[in-house]
Amino acid sequence: MDSESNDMENNSSADIERKIEKTIYQAALALDKNNWADWFKLCDDSFFYSITSFSPEISKDMTYFSGDKKELIGLMEMLPKHNTDHSPLHRHTSVYTIDVSDDGKTAESVSSVVIYQNMLDGINSHLDSGESRLFVIGKYHDKFLINDGVPKFINRETKIDNRRLDKGSHWPL
Amino acid sequence: MDFVENKPNGSIDSDHVTISEKVAAKALDQAFIEEQKRIFKNSWVPVCHESELPEPYDFRTSSIGNENVIVCRAPDGKINALLNVCPHRGMLIERRPQGSFLEGQASGNPKRITCMFHAWQFDMRGNCVYVAREKEGYQDRFCKDDAGLRRLRCEVNFGGFVWVNMNDQPAVFLEEWAGAAFSSIQSQISSEPLEVVHYHKEVVETGYQELMSQGLSSIDNDTDATIFDYGHLVTTQGSADNQDAKKGKSFPSPNAASCTSVRIFPGFAFNLDGPTLHVSTITPLNDKQVMIEHRGLAPQADNKEARHLRSKYYNEKFGPFRLQELSEPEQNELDSVKANSWYTHYYDEWLRWMDKHPNGETRIVDLPTSRSKNGEVDEHSGLSGPHIVVVGASHAGVAFVDKVRKNGFVGRLTVFDRQVGGPMERPPLSKGFLLGGGETVESKSLLRQKKWYKNNRIKLKTQSNVETIDTKKKTVTVSSGDVINYDNLVIASGAIPRELPDTQGMGNAFTLRQPSDANAIRQAANNSDTVVIIGGGYIGLEVAASLRKKEMTVTVIEAAERILARVASKPLADRLTKLHEDNGVQVLTGVGVDSINAEAGIFESVTLTSGEKIVGDMLITGIGVFPDSTLAASAGIETQRKDGGAILVDEAMRTSEKDVFAVGDVALRRDQLLAIESVHNAQETAAVAAAAVTGSIAPTIQTPWFWSDQYDVKLQSVGVVPINDDDVYQVARPGKREGAVSFWSYRGDDLVAVEVVNDPATYMEARQCLDTKQSPDPEQISNPSFSPIDSGGARS
Repeated sequence: MDSESNDMENNSSADIERKIEKTIYQAALALDKNNWADWFKLCDDSFFYSITSFSPEISKDMTYFSGDKKELIGLMEMLPKHNTDHSPLHRHTSVYTIDVSDDGKTAESVSSVVIYQNMLDGINSHLDSGESRLFVIGKYHDKFLINDGVPKFINRETKIDNRRLDKGSHWPL
Repeated sequence: MDFVENKPNGSIDSDHVTISEKVAAKALDQAFIEEQKRIFKNSWVPVCHESELPEPYDFRTSSIGNENVIVCRAPDGKINALLNVCPHRGMLIERRPQGSFLEGQASGNPKRITCMFHAWQFDMRGNCVYVAREKEGYQDRFCKDDAGLRRLRCEVNFGGFVWVNMNDQPAVFLEEWAGAAFSSIQSQISSEPLEVVHYHKEVVETGYQELMSQGLSSIDNDTDATIFDYGHLVTTQGSADNQDAKKGKSFPSPNAASCTSVRIFPGFAFNLDGPTLHVSTITPLNDKQVMIEHRGLAPQADNKEARHLRSKYYNEKFGPFRLQELSEPEQNELDSVKANSWYTHYYDEWLRWMDKHPNGETRIVDLPTSRSKNGEVDEHSGLSGPHIVVVGASHAGVAFVDKVRKNGFVGRLTVFDRQVGGPMERPPLSKGFLLGGGETVESKSLLRQKKWYKNNRIKLKTQSNVETIDTKKKTVTVSSGDVINYDNLVIASGAIPRELPDTQGMGNAFTLRQPSDANAIRQAANNSDTVVIIGGGYIGLEVAASLRKKEMTVTVIEAAERILARVASKPLADRLTKLHEDNGVQVLTGVGVDSINAEAGIFESVTLTSGEKIVGDMLITGIGVFPDSTLAASAGIETQRKDGGAILVDEAMRTSEKDVFAVGDVALRRDQLLAIESVHNAQETAAVAAAAVTGSIAPTIQTPWFWSDQYDVKLQSVGVVPINDDDVYQVARPGKREGAVSFWSYRGDDLVAVEVVNDPATYMEARQCLDTKQSPDPEQISNPSFSPIDSGGARS
């Protein structure tokens, strides 16, 4: 391999990493806006999502929520028919690591996520609305499929540290 | 180090404080403190599950009534609950939610609970095993043997939960506290070891009573709800349980579909919902905040597929990311009435604990702990004082001792039972019991487990027949020759099935009353193909249904023009006749028995008055019972007739002898013409007698009720259907589900009884109507959309 092709490969890998980083941030923005359609555009058809946690209280890994893309779309369609807390969530995400596979077709990343809840319709909205509270802390463990230089989510495991989960939104974090 | 030993002014920084610090800092309402003290520190609280501390030296921490509790597993596997507070300086010892003491910690030796402040050490039973500088510091003034952690009452029960009571002398034992309420799910949650696989908690901005009230409002028309003593409530969605159980679809099967919720006062819910067991426990933080812990449990033996299936189901129903309940229009009035009824019961219990009940009753009573210096002492129970002797451990006899203890009676209680093995549940004997294959009576069929008698300090003497009563000397003579003194005698000797003269001593000819009868029928049925049943009453029909399930050829012979001629309406009898015929039973009515024939002493056939001969391998006679009053009549106690009949009693169930009571099937009130033989009658007469003996307020008399299971039909009736009364007529009311129907019996415009088929919700409405003397319009009752509750008609 000559030095030119080596550079091209390095640029390509850096480019993919930038695209993955951008995809993660776009996902955060779409989720913050409850814009499920935009979020799903970032996901491959094989996408699988889960929210997990480790409980030191019972010394067990737990899955709080899981579903494939079809199930998630079904869930989102059901949301308007249910009572929900409309307090917006605000995700602060920092991408820590991105590892692109040797063949450049898949990648894995780990990001930190801190989610704040901006109160809207609490027990007494007269008092509570407008206040921001720390809602959840955790990490995104993402996996991507890369086709034609475009990364798409194929798996997201949101590993949260919270086991106390008070009232709030019941959709993907 | 982050921890401080003392914070003199008790102040907490306002920013970044945890919920526990906020609670500690908040000036608690005095009423809240009183409530914690009176209720939560005296109740049985499920603090965790045994799987949360699976190995010796594992521990789990919790709190009850703002007191810190640690639960740990000793080397012998036993679980102990201790106050998580060092007796030295009153400091919190273990701060982690869960862990193990097996390995040493930075400030603790292996296998020891160690206080980080001065290194006092305790073993898993709370014994103090090390005090730093014991000799140098204390010389002989103090010994570590005097300084253990305070041990708390702790029991593991009801699916492996660890129950703790802060009161060393709880008002009731755990089994009595919650055993009855758990009975409907106990076999399911105890059939194999479970483990907690989901856990989360939430803090909700409400008082726990409001939280309970919200939960109760979800009771709907398809919910069968039963209230239990001590404020507990059990609800079952639909009547699918029996069907599910038959199909092997009850928990712990991953295909389970039934839904039963056991709500234990003051706020612990055990929801057996499909393939999952969800348990929510409350910890009130103040008068406006409650922490709820949610646990999801699954069998330890689950494979990956079953675990995934349960997990998915659990998360959708109970997980923190579940969808909230569907938005629905306001509940209809009926639902509110029902929910209010349950909540009234709950609130009544709360008032009792808080000593605010209008009747002045309180649940916080101490059982006697020491012997009286005066009077006779019972070696078995350790009790002294008045002695109540109960003859007959029937439903009524056992209900009496139960009620009398609950009424606060602290004297001696002795029950004589002539049967072997302990008092049994009678209703299952003609139903599921016959389908079993063993030769012995299963312990699950016992009315109460042996431990219950021990816990309640009741002396149960089985295989003991009371042969004579001397009302002047106030003694009974037992078959062993013992003469026993009594202060009060309660006769609960029940009834004896009528036999046909031809069948006496005949092989393979049976009656059914006692467990031994049911056992004999079960054994004979296993070796027989055909059975002839004489008598088309409930016993005969239930036996017919059970034996058809064993694919036996069954013929029922009834002399009257229809089955259930003495106890049910004609429309119901017609429906049940069709049910049996559809299931392959030959039902012959309006025909008598001419003779019963045997060959070599073994039943062979029945010849009918029509001349027809019915051949069978076995014969069961179910033609009614007569009161077993020989003992009472011999003692000069007044009975219906000089030669027997029921024992006549007043409205307090007192016989002609002032210290002698009679309850259950053997008793008949002087102001009543008809004795009602049912579990309800047994329980109610027992409660009345118990109130009279203890001077308590007599219980409210309910309308008589009864139930029967035949094939997949659940029949429930409330009230007594008048028979041979031309003024009585029935109106059929279709149920909302397929196969559901009820028959409402009226005399004029007055509702007198309701019989319900596969419709528990309608049964509850009917019961409410009759208990509150309401008579829904008979012109409208056939309309299923017409609500019978509060529809305006008052019974005359």
